Amino acid sequence: MASHFKPKHLMAAAGAVALVLSTAACGGSSDSGSTTAKNFSFLAINENTTIAKTLTTLSQKECATQNTAQPLEIKNQAQASLDQQLQLLAGQGALPQLFTAANAPSLTSQLADNGTVLDAAAVSESVLPAASSTIKSLYDGKQLVLPTELNIEGIWYNKKLLTDNGITTVPSTWEDLVAAFAKLQGAGVQPISQAGKGGDGWGVTRWVGNYILRQQGPDALKKVADGSAKLTDPQYVAAADAIAALGKAGYFGKSPTSIDYATALNTFLTGKAAFIYMGSWALSDFNDETKNKIGVDNVGFLKFPTVAGGVGTADQMPANVGTAVAISKKAYEGDANTQAWVKCIVDNYGTVALRDSSQITGFTTDSAVEVPALTKEIQTEIGNVQSSVLWFEGYFSAKATTVSQSNGGLLGSGQLTGEKFMQTVTANLG
Amino acid sequence: MKRIPGYLCVALLLLVVTYPLVWLFLGSFKTQDEFLNNPTTALPESFTNFANYTQAWSAVATYLQNSLLTVLPSLALIVVFGTAAGFALEVLVWKGRQTTLMLFLAGIMIPGQMILLPLFTIYFNLHLTGTLWPLIITYTAIGLPLTVFMMATYFRAIPREVFEAAAIDGASVIRSFVSVGFPMMRNSVLTIALVQFFFLWNDLLIALTFTTDDSKRTVQVGLLNFTGQFGVVEYGPTFAAICINVLLILAIYIFLNQRVMRGLAAGAVKG
Amino acid sequence: MHSVLGDRKSVAILLGPALLVYSLIMLVPMLWSLGYTFFTGSVISGFTWAGTANFSKLFDDPALPDALWFTVKYAVVITVGQVLVGYLLALLYVYFLRRAGSVIRTLVFFPVVLPTVAVALLFQKFFEYAPQTGPVNAVIEAFGGTGVDWFSTPGHAFLVVALMDIWRSMGFYAVLLYAGLLDIPDEMMEAASMDGAGTWRQIRSIVLPLSLPVLVSSLVFSINGTLKAFDSIYALTGGGPGSATTPLTLYMYQTSFAYGDYGYGSTIALTLTMLCLLVTIFIFRGTRRDLAQG
Repeated sequence: MASHFKPKHLMAAAGAVALVLSTAACGGSSDSGSTTAKNFSFLAINENTTIAKTLTTLSQKECATQNTAQPLEIKNQAQASLDQQLQLLAGQGALPQLFTAANAPSLTSQLADNGTVLDAAAVSESVLPAASSTIKSLYDGKQLVLPTELNIEGIWYNKKLLTDNGITTVPSTWEDLVAAFAKLQGAGVQPISQAGKGGDGWGVTRWVGNYILRQQGPDALKKVADGSAKLTDPQYVAAADAIAALGKAGYFGKSPTSIDYATALNTFLTGKAAFIYMGSWALSDFNDETKNKIGVDNVGFLKFPTVAGGVGTADQMPANVGTAVAISKKAYEGDANTQAWVKCIVDNYGTVALRDSSQITGFTTDSAVEVPALTKEIQTEIGNVQSSVLWFEGYFSAKATTVSQSNGGLLGSGQLTGEKFMQTVTANLG
Repeated sequence: MKRIPGYLCVALLLLVVTYPLVWLFLGSFKTQDEFLNNPTTALPESFTNFANYTQAWSAVATYLQNSLLTVLPSLALIVVFGTAAGFALEVLVWKGRQTTLMLFLAGIMIPGQMILLPLFTIYFNLHLTGTLWPLIITYTAIGLPLTVFMMATYFRAIPREVFEAAAIDGASVIRSFVSVGFPMMRNSVLTIALVQFFFLWNDLLIALTFTTDDSKRTVQVGLLNFTGQFGVVEYGPTFAAICINVLLILAIYIFLNQRVMRGLAAGAVKG
Repeated sequence: MHSVLGDRKSVAILLGPALLVYSLIMLVPMLWSLGYTFFTGSVISGFTWAGTANFSKLFDDPALPDALWFTVKYAVVITVGQVLVGYLLALLYVYFLRRAGSVIRTLVFFPVVLPTVAVALLFQKFFEYAPQTGPVNAVIEAFGGTGVDWFSTPGHAFLVVALMDIWRSMGFYAVLLYAGLLDIPDEMMEAASMDGAGTWRQIRSIVLPLSLPVLVSSLVFSINGTLKAFDSIYALTGGGPGSATTPLTLYMYQTSFAYGDYGYGSTIALTLTMLCLLVTIFIFRGTRRDLAQG
C-alpha cells in the first residue's frame, strides 16, 4: 500500500470535520425567513389522521387557490416523540408553518414566550366561545392554537343497564351516583369501566379533578398552580379519597391497572359496564355499529354531577381541544401565501371536518351538515357551554402529568390512598 | 432410558419457545373484535381472513426495505473498520495502543441516550435528517466499540509470528492483514456480524429519534405505527406485520446460520 | 521485527476510520452532553449556567435511588438468568442433541429477532388478568390456584420483565456459548470420559474451566445490554405500576425528552455511565484473575 496517509494528516482531517460541524451547528438554518416559502408544511402526528385528511380535502377544494400558490406538504411524527421533535425544531428555528401543538401545554406557552408561536387571536374570528375559553384557560389567556378538535367530557351511561337494575332517574348528584354504583355492583354489573394501565390512568384521575372542581369551584386547580393551595390540603385529599373509595369498593372492575383505553371503551360498548368517563372524541366509536354493540340510542351523556355542599356546578363543563394545531410566528409573518392558507383553514375547517370525518371542532360550521343524533346532542351541549374547566393535570408540568396518570390506575384499584396519591403528585409538581 | 429426562427438557423447551410464536401467527388472523371479546387462547374464527395482512403489507414492505438499507451497510462498515482497528490495536506495536483500546472500551459504557441530542443537532445542520444516513452513521459508531474490543481479544489468541512471517515474506502490514489476518478471523467476524445484526435490527431508540419521515421508518418504529390515537392498539395488523417480519428474518437467519455453522466447521478442521 | 509491525502509516490506515467515526459520533457528543450537566433549561428556553445544581438535585431526588436500585437489580438478575439458561441450553445442545440439533437451535434462537414491541405485546397478553384471562393465569386456575394480577404489583411486574428478557435472549446466549463449547477439542472430552468421569464431573472439572473465556465475554455482552435496557421495559410495563419498574435509562429519557430538562437528564445519564464504568472495571479485574488461574 503506497499511501501517504500519516497520523498528522488524520488529525488535520478530523479537525476539519469538527470545524465544519461546529460552524454548521452555530450557523443555524434559516430557510423560512421573511421571503415566501415554497410549501405550506404541516407537521402531523401519526395517531391523528383527521387533520391531515381534512387539510388535504381543503387543498383540493376550498383552498385550491392557496394550494397552487403554496402547495400543502404533510410530514408525520409519532405522538410520543412530538414534544421532543418540536423542541429540536424550535431550537433550530425550523418549525413548519403549521404543526400539531405539543402534548404539554406548557411547551406551547414556552414557545410563545420565546416568540416562535403565533398568538392566533387575530385570525380566530370563526372560533366558538367554548373553544376560545378552553384555549385561553390552557395557555394563560392567550389563543395559541386553532381548535381542530373540541371535546367536552362527562360520564356516559348505558340506559338499558340502568333501567334493568332499577335506576330509573339518571343520577344528578354525586351521592345518587355512588348509590347507583352500589346498586349495580350488588346486581353483579361492573359500575364503571375505566382504563388505568400506565399512561391511560388519566381515565381515573379525571374523576379526581372533577370532584375537586365540583366541591371547591372552578378555580380550585388554578389555585394549586398559583401556589395558593396544595394538593395535599385536606379538601383536595378528600377528593382523591372519594375516588380511592370507589376503587376499594371495586367499582372500577377487576383490575383497572391492566385495562388500556381500547379495552375500557370496549367493555362499555359491549354492555359489560354501566358508566364510563369519556370525552366526546369517542363519538365516532359510539356511532360505529361494529364497535358499539349496545346501540347508539342506548348511550346517554351525563354532566359530571355536583357534590353535596360543593360550590361548583354541573354546567362548568370539562373541555379540551384535543389535538390542536399551532402556527409558527416566524413563518406566518411576512408570508402572504401562508396567511391566505391560514385564513382559508379557519373559515372552512369546521364544516369539512364535520362533513367528512364527523369531527366536532371549535370552529363554526355550516348548519346544513347532517350528523347522527347523539353527535347532534353533544353539539348542542357544546353550544350551550358558558364556562369550561380543565382536567386534573391541565396546569401540571409534563413530569407531574406523567406521574399523576401513571398512578391513576393504582388509585382506581384501591392500592393507593388519596393522601399517598396526592403526595406523590405534589412531589413532582415543582 | 437415560435419555428420557433429556427428551422431556427438549419438549418443554420447544413448548416454551414455539407456543408464543404459534399464538402470534394465529393472532394475525383475528379481527380487533375477536381480540377484545374472545378468550385470549381461542383460535381465530377464520383462517382466510387476510385483511390484516393486506393492511400490514403495504406499510411493512417499506419498513423492511429501510431496515435492510440501514442495517446492512452499517454492518459491513462495523466489520471492516472494527476488524482493522482490532488488528491495529492488538497485532501492531505502537505507543498509546493500550490507551486507545481503553478509549474504545469506554464506548461500550456510553448509554445511547447520552448522545442523542447533540447528534440530532449535528445531523440537522448537515441536512441529513429525512434520509437514512443518520441511522447508518450512528449504528456504525455504536457497533464499533464492542467489535473492536472483541476483535482485539480474538487477535490476541493468534501467535504474532504468523503476521511477522507474512510481513517478512514481503507483504506489507496492510496486505498481511487483508490476506492473512482478516481471513483467519472469518468465523469471529460472522459471529460478531450476527450479534450486531440483531442489536441493530432491534434498535428502537435511535431509529425513533432520527426518523421523522414516514417513508424512512424502520421495522421497529413502523410497528409503533399500528397504534392509533389514544393508544388504541390494532392487534390484528400489528400481528400480521410481525409475522411478515418474522418470516423474512427466518429466511435471513437460515441463510446466515448455515454460513456460520459451515464457518465453525471449517474452523474446527483447521484448529 | 517491531519495525515491521510498528509501521505508523499502517496503524493510521487500519485504525483511522474506526477511530474517526467513533470519536465524532460517540465521544464528541458524549462530552457535549457532559457539558449540559452544568446547565439548566432546554433547547427552547435556552440554557443557563447552573453550576452544580443538577448534582445536588441528584442527591435530593427521591426517585433516583429507586431507579438506581432497579437498574442494578434488573442487570444482576437478567444477566445471571440469561447466561445461566444459555449455558444450560448450550450444554444440552452439545451433550444431548449433539450436532443434529440445528432446527432446535434455530427455534430457540428465534425470539431474539422478534421486535421488542411485539414481544412485549405477546407477554402482556400472556400474563393478562383482566378483562380476559391470559394463558398463564388460565393454567394457574386450572391447577386450582387463583389468578395473579401480574402488572399491578412491583414484584410480579419485575418477574414478568425478567421472564420476558430471559425468554427473548436465552437462545442467543445458547448459540454464543455453544460456539465456544465446540472449540473445546474432542480429545479432552474423550480423555475425561475414559477416566470414568461422570458427565457432571466432566462438565465441572473440564468444560467449565475451558469455556470460562466465552462465558466471560457472554457476561460482558449481557451486562452491557442489561444495564442499558430500555426498549423491553418501556414496551412491557412503561415503568409501572407507578414508577416501580423504572430503570435509570427510562428515567433519564423521560427527564430529558418528556419533561424537557436536558441538564438533569444528562446528569442521570452520567450516573448510569459511572455505574457501567464501575461494573466494567470490576469485571475486568475479576476476569484477569480468573483467567490467570485457569
